[in-house]
Amino acid sequence: MSASDAFGLFGCGLASLAAAATVIRLRRLPVRARYAVMLAAALAVFVPIGELSIAAWVRGVTGDLSTATLVLAGAACFTQVTGRALIEPRDKRALCGLLALAAAFLYPFALGWTQFDPYALGFGSVEFITALLLITLAAWAARLNLIVLVVIVAGLAFLAGAYESRNLWDTLIDPLVSFYALAWLLAGVRRRPSNGLACPTASV
Amino acid sequence: MTRELAQRHLRRTVRKLGNPVVGRDSKGRLCLYFVSVSVGGWAGSAVNLVVSEDEGETWSPPRRLIASPFFNIGTLVKGAPLLFSGGAVGLPVYHELLGKFGELLRLDSAGGVVLKTRLSWGRSSLQPVIVPRSDREAVGFMRYAGVSPNRILIVRTADGGVHWSPPAKTALPNPNAAIGSALLADGPLLLVLNNAEENREDLSLAISEDFGNSWRIAYRFEGDSGSPQAPVPEYSYPWIMQDRAGDVHVLYTWGRSRIKHLRFNRAWLEGRR
Repeated sequence: MSASDAFGLFGCGLASLAAAATVIRLRRLPVRARYAVMLAAALAVFVPIGELSIAAWVRGVTGDLSTATLVLAGAACFTQVTGRALIEPRDKRALCGLLALAAAFLYPFALGWTQFDPYALGFGSVEFITALLLITLAAWAARLNLIVLVVIVAGLAFLAGAYESRNLWDTLIDPLVSFYALAWLLAGVRRRPSNGLACPTASV
Repeated sequence: MTRELAQRHLRRTVRKLGNPVVGRDSKGRLCLYFVSVSVGGWAGSAVNLVVSEDEGETWSPPRRLIASPFFNIGTLVKGAPLLFSGGAVGLPVYHELLGKFGELLRLDSAGGVVLKTRLSWGRSSLQPVIVPRSDREAVGFMRYAGVSPNRILIVRTADGGVHWSPPAKTALPNPNAAIGSALLADGPLLLVLNNAEENREDLSLAISEDFGNSWRIAYRFEGDSGSPQAPVPEYSYPWIMQDRAGDVHVLYTWGRSRIKHLRFNRAWLEGRR
């Protein structure tokens, strides 16, 4: 199995585990039961049933998932198992906001809206790498460490050849995490009281 | 290649395969591109590549080409690959998810997508066929799926595929159907097309002596009242190529049931110029 296949299957499996743990509200169970359920779920996700595992089925639908998805899914699994939040709401709000903006910039144009194709910039264009560097530096200065972490992990995974894709966009963002980011931000707006001072409190 | 083999090697679910296109890379290896679908219809396609170093006796495991950020679906192949002067392969592809537009992928020697250029945009052009004339100059034709008048679309590049002219309608009709094109060695540009705006009952050969600026219908392969008609009179998805001996081969779907193969030489063609 190639490194990119292993990484792709791991990512899809991790996202499946995070979704399952969140849906069944794992952290409401006793601690030992959480570990047992998570272990059983991991076996169910990664061990092939017939020719394919659940992770491979998910990969057939979603393709390889970005590091943003992997970081959020990993944090969600951690929270569901330990009961402790790994990500501060401020960090998550910034990441989700950035993902929503990036998705609004990327997908309509990449799907053929105009002659301009921002996806092509991801094939190593100087403009794209410069913009990414500036955004990361700004996030680092603002102590938005989750964004910095996602970009660093994406860069390392890209350099290590962990992705099938040679396009940097694919290591940073995918449609799944874009929908999630948008939904999370909208849910935060709905939860916010009318005086507008409170922040979304849900965290992973 | 089978669905099961593709599923096993790609390590993901695969429901069906289609649109095979074969060409050679700069090392002379045979490269077979095909699409696979995991979920839904053909709009959910992704492009894959297998390579043969022994003229098709054995093939490498398939590898997935990544050409779209949206779950990497909606990308299909139809036109023949071409070679850039530096040895990279150019693969014309088109997208059918939400939009319908053409692109040219640039693949490195390992078969990875390292660049792509948009040939068109919007929701009305697909199945690009690109014919290079030199290292820098090429012309491309696309099936048209927009509003009337229904015409074959043409694009051009003069800088080796870095920039392409906006798609323009030619004088040739197109009933929302694929076309085939080839530039003969020291000769004219040929186009195989359905010479009608509304149906695929006619399949004709058009010749251009000025690299696509003007065209003349030279021969009708299908659709004459005297020729035997298929039970379903539909002739589509033409492919045209010139072999090493100089003969020209035309292949197409005959009556939605057979592949028909025609072969003619330069003498036959000269009689129709």
